[in-house]
Amino acid sequence: MRAARAARRGYASLALTLLLLASGAGLMVLKSVVDRIPRQKIPGASIIYIPSGKFLKYATLGYSSLAADLIYLWAIQYYSTYTVVDRFQNLEHIFSIISELDPRYNDPYEVGALIAAYEARDLDLAYKILDLGLARNPGQWLFPFEAGHYAQMAKDYETARRYYDKAARIPGAPEIVRRLHAAASFKAMDLKTAWEMWLEVRDTAQDERTRKIADNHLYQVKSAADIAVIKDALARFRARYRRLPAGLEELERVRLLASVPRDLDGRDYLYDPQQGEVSPPSIWWKR
Amino acid sequence: MATVLNIEDLHKTFISGFIPKKRRILKGISFSVTAGEIFGFLGPNGAGKTTTLKCALGLIFPDRGKIEIFGRHHLDARAKRRVGYLPEHPYFYEYLTATEFLDFYGQLFLMDRVERKEKTAALLRQVGLERAVDLPLRKFSRGMLQRVGLAQALINDPALVLLDEPLGGLDPLGRKELRDIIARLKQDGKTVFLCSHILQDIEMICDRVAIVAGGRVVSQGALLDLISEKVLYTEVTLSGLAEEDLIDLGEPVSIRSDRILIKVFQDANVDALLELVRERRGRVHSLVPRTETLEDIFVEMVKQS
Amino acid sequence: MKVTAIAVNTFREGIRDRILYLPFFFALMAVVFSRVLAVLAVGDRVKIIKDVGLASISLFGMLIAVLIGTGLVYKEIDKKTIYTLLAKPIERWQFLLGKFLGLVLTLFVLTAAMALAFLAVILVHTSRVDGRLVLAVVFIFLELVLITAVAMLFSCFSTPILSSVFTLSFYIIGHFSWGLQTLIEKAPPGPARVALRVLYSILPDLENFNYKTDAVYGLKVLPQYYAFSALYGLAYTLFVLALAGLIFKKRDFV
Repeated sequence: MRAARAARRGYASLALTLLLLASGAGLMVLKSVVDRIPRQKIPGASIIYIPSGKFLKYATLGYSSLAADLIYLWAIQYYSTYTVVDRFQNLEHIFSIISELDPRYNDPYEVGALIAAYEARDLDLAYKILDLGLARNPGQWLFPFEAGHYAQMAKDYETARRYYDKAARIPGAPEIVRRLHAAASFKAMDLKTAWEMWLEVRDTAQDERTRKIADNHLYQVKSAADIAVIKDALARFRARYRRLPAGLEELERVRLLASVPRDLDGRDYLYDPQQGEVSPPSIWWKR
Repeated sequence: MATVLNIEDLHKTFISGFIPKKRRILKGISFSVTAGEIFGFLGPNGAGKTTTLKCALGLIFPDRGKIEIFGRHHLDARAKRRVGYLPEHPYFYEYLTATEFLDFYGQLFLMDRVERKEKTAALLRQVGLERAVDLPLRKFSRGMLQRVGLAQALINDPALVLLDEPLGGLDPLGRKELRDIIARLKQDGKTVFLCSHILQDIEMICDRVAIVAGGRVVSQGALLDLISEKVLYTEVTLSGLAEEDLIDLGEPVSIRSDRILIKVFQDANVDALLELVRERRGRVHSLVPRTETLEDIFVEMVKQS
Repeated sequence: MKVTAIAVNTFREGIRDRILYLPFFFALMAVVFSRVLAVLAVGDRVKIIKDVGLASISLFGMLIAVLIGTGLVYKEIDKKTIYTLLAKPIERWQFLLGKFLGLVLTLFVLTAAMALAFLAVILVHTSRVDGRLVLAVVFIFLELVLITAVAMLFSCFSTPILSSVFTLSFYIIGHFSWGLQTLIEKAPPGPARVALRVLYSILPDLENFNYKTDAVYGLKVLPQYYAFSALYGLAYTLFVLALAGLIFKKRDFV
């Protein structure tokens, strides 16, 4: 009688243990399946609906810079989720909220402007964000400098000159700003000039931040240049063999490339053989 | 003899609740306690015993009336220094040990460390808690809390000790021990004032009592004066007689086999009964004169008020 | 001294109160977690660590202040430990002051521990300890002292839950002062504006103690501002304690 009861108790704990393991495994599997679904929205997207930064500033009761940090971190995740196709709609709104909460926080202005310039392709917005940054942080020469750089890349020389002038007037701006402004007629900013410019900014950088920003820009320039080279080789391959190569090493084997270029960190570029697309392994502004 | 505690015409009304409601608790309490006696303060629940006590201690502020302790105003620090107090349902800091607790209270009397240490140890021995000196108070039983409560009441060697329902919740052995301690306090020359509604204990230890009901003192005086020695009736248990024989003498209460318990109301009848038993060669098993007890007086007074 | 005895006893009670260790460990975890969070940032990582660290000390410190302030006095009254205490030759204000000092000491120990953890993490990341960060923590502590006084004031006549609500309201109103300022500017001149101005000067301005931004950005703050904030804190705390003393003095302990 007692043995039977003990046996039943043993069965009970065995059943419970199995249930525990099964549900635990089930949870993990479910999570990985759900994670793979491309998202239309990411969690926290309701931040978009906050009416204004001013309101939020009061609501955060003295923790506004922490709120700015958290929203900024969220924004970084949001804008690297490429599956959310309409994410640029609220770019200005979100970054203006961050600015309202913590006007001295420099990184968001730069990152916001470069997302606007390179990903949303909205130059005016990029200028707007950088202007706001400069208005709130008058000593930051990097803001008008980057604005000038974007303008020059878009061949808007008048705007570029204006911005370089602004940057040059700020104490602490490096020599190169003066030189860029002084150039009588602007050339289109080709990749080689961009590379040299950012290299000089990096080497003469007075603080870690500037150095890092310059380094990121260098990464972007190099990957743009490398991808152009690879794409050229791909086009020639296709002309010759009427198909796309299975991998980039093939280009090397058939001597269309001396060697497959690597990005600034030494990593391989990503190649999609179906579409023939090449892309950098890192989101350069997130390095 | 010196008056240790004097209360005159004490009034207190409590106003409570959102829509203010008045409750008159004390409607003119007056009594006094002389030095060296054990004074009992009796009354039913809600009569105002604890409220009176708390007024005397400065925990409640009366609306009207005078309270004097050792001839001084009751809130005077010099008076308070010679008073000890044990509340009903004592509860103390859970996280302290008994020793730490008494030490803390000793500090409030500005006793120095050596004195505190000695007194604490002596008191804990006196109340029978030597074995629990380092136990945290949260582990104390009700009876133990009562004892440590008494210890803190005595820490300053007070001349007047105020006890609120000290015997409540104790087992018979505990009650006896506490009665002994109170008696010893009197021997040491202290004055003891205690509130209670356990009348048997009051009867055993008090010299004088005051009965309070409905917010007023309805009776006051020496215990012996209040309780007359008058015999109400005599209970006799006997055998060897038949019920019919006893009809004129008293009131039979119970009859079992041949034992009869009978209430006899007059002394003369008691003698006659004893005569009858001897005649018939019966036996008297017990004879108990029942006098008026404090309980009878108490119930009488409370009903009247 | 009697006040010291009560203060020490209250400190012992506070430190042994296990409920306080919950916000304390949360604060420690937040400080550690800030390091993880910082990895997600693009750009200046230390800023995130500083912001989270200071915010944690402030937030969890406030939780501790409210817990001990509302609980401790109410517990004495509710559990009637206060009866025997007040029956001794001790003034009611001595009791209250002793209790307050004990609470402040408990708060100090816990805040110092959180601050040390925070500064250690900063030290690891930046190889230096910025004096301004320490000052920011000091002023957070002063704000917490004021909050404790307010919590104690409410607990003299109210249950712990209500006291907590009132104290939190005090905190929220205190940080909304600049909203009031904007309101004053927008109000038409006249009795409304005067009334608002009076309200503005009485209501606490807890932003006075907020040096978090200055510490994080290494901005220079004139010593006058620090001195003024300290004096404001002292004055307001004394005001609250005096109020508590008055209320407590006349209270019947039924």
